[in-house]
Amino acid sequence: MATKKRVVVIGGGAGGALLANNLPLEEFDVTVIDRSPYHYYWPWLLYVAFKGSKRPMKKEIRELLKPGVSFIQAGAQSVDLNNRKVVLENGKTLEYDYLVIATGSRPTYSQIGGHKKVVERYGDYHSSEENARRVWNAINSLKQGTFAVIVGGDPYRCPPSPLEGVFLAEEFFRARGLRDKVKIVFAVPYPRPYPAEPMNEVVEPILRERGIEYITFFTLDRIDEEKKVAVSMEGEELKYDVLVVIPPHVGTDMKIAPEDVLTQDRFIQADKYTNNIKGFDDAFVIGDASAVPVAKTGVTAHLQAGVVARRLQGEDARNSGRTNCPFDLGYGLGTFVISDYNNPVVKLPPSRFSHLAKIAFAASYWDMIRYPELWNPIFEAYFEATEPAKLGRIYV
Amino acid sequence: MAENRIRVDARGIACPGPITELVKAYRNAKNGDIIEVLATDPGFKPDVEAWIKRTGNQLLELKEEGGIYIAVIKVTAKK
Ligand SMILES: Cc1cc2nc3c(=O)[nH]c(=O)nc-3n(C[C@H](O)[C@H](O)[C@H](O)COP(=O)(O)OP(=O)(O)OC[C@H]3O[C@@H](n4cnc5c(N)ncnc54)[C@H](O)[C@@H]3O)c2cc1C
Repeated sequence: MATKKRVVVIGGGAGGALLANNLPLEEFDVTVIDRSPYHYYWPWLLYVAFKGSKRPMKKEIRELLKPGVSFIQAGAQSVDLNNRKVVLENGKTLEYDYLVIATGSRPTYSQIGGHKKVVERYGDYHSSEENARRVWNAINSLKQGTFAVIVGGDPYRCPPSPLEGVFLAEEFFRARGLRDKVKIVFAVPYPRPYPAEPMNEVVEPILRERGIEYITFFTLDRIDEEKKVAVSMEGEELKYDVLVVIPPHVGTDMKIAPEDVLTQDRFIQADKYTNNIKGFDDAFVIGDASAVPVAKTGVTAHLQAGVVARRLQGEDARNSGRTNCPFDLGYGLGTFVISDYNNPVVKLPPSRFSHLAKIAFAASYWDMIRYPELWNPIFEAYFEATEPAKLGRIYV
Repeated sequence: MAENRIRVDARGIACPGPITELVKAYRNAKNGDIIEVLATDPGFKPDVEAWIKRTGNQLLELKEEGGIYIAVIKVTAKK
């Protein structure tokens, strides 16, 4: 029998775990490395922050991986792509035939003056359960004044998430009977509330209808928590009582040789169709860690994991650049941001169905990671039925 | 002060859109820096024009070549 090919996967999140579970173990010897013992379902931070959800949002990576896939709980410190080596923080070295980097992205608090203080005070919903809980406490203690959400910089996970927070906050204050006492302000550095125009045509009227104020072209520079004012790079000021900033994210904390595969903000450059790391046919990067022109969402990580799993088995699978970000609009309504490399974002009208689809997805999430062989055909059918080229003709 | 040229490749980005890449480069730039953005999304042209008008930075060049938009911007408006 031929020896099995050694696949090392760094990161056991949405992309990494799914990739590992998609590989046939007769052919591959698969090892997943993660610094954390847990896999987090990050989208749930939204419901911790704005609904006070106490539902568990993490599971042990070891339990999510198929029997036969090895798991090493350790941080990866450096990757040497030329010599096919990964050095762990515990000093061990792993060699591979194929490498898949799936280390995600992480918020940074060093780009905006005063950002750290604001997070310590009011939390955010892009970093940890603890910070999301702080948001919940902050909105519960606000009885009057201004609640502000500011997009602090790009990129961040899940493009709809800033507005989802705003919509859920509005619903929260209305339900508490405080809507006439609490002003809600949303500020973005873009020309419109949602950066892609067709989706903006869906959400901007909803903002107006619900009396949510918004400020465009606001590039956040610094925050003065004593004076409770956020200042833009051009000197515009926004006063607040409670402020949640969507933090800009950066890429990997690992050292990578050669260094020129990294962008300035440490995302890893790759072919947008195959996910091959620039210049390497035996190394891939999937999900949020990659610098490919597509939104940082779990759905993207999921689809890329499928493409790389098939490529490792010798198929010429390619990404279409498909996005499918669920968008919670509050009050039980939702939509999806659907596009691909060849088609702009579809203007998909709000519906209860879209919201329920998001919740159904959340409910089945762990099962989808654990049993891709059962879910792959369902996803394939869904993605085919909702191709942006088809939807674009229906919703214009 | 040496002029710093920042190149941004935003080709192919439909969601969330190429304007997000410009905004990212702007955050890290200093007054005097030049930002050059490549994009394929047709919405990029009016967005750059609106962005220049509102932020007060300087547009040195905005052209289309074979379906690719190229914007060259001088950062001047930071306080
Ligand atoms: C509020 C919010 C709402 C969202 N909503 C949606 C949604 O509705 N739909 C959707 O599709 N997506 C959504 N997302 C985005 C989604 O959560 C991410 O895009 C997805 O988790 C990316 O998967 P990933 O595998 O690339 O990274 P992650 O899931 O972040 O996994 C990365 C893993 O790598 C590990 N790691 C990192 N560095 C190292 C290292 N050096 N050594 C070892 N291990 C390391 C980490 O511990 C982590 O387990 C949302 C995100 C947020 C924050």
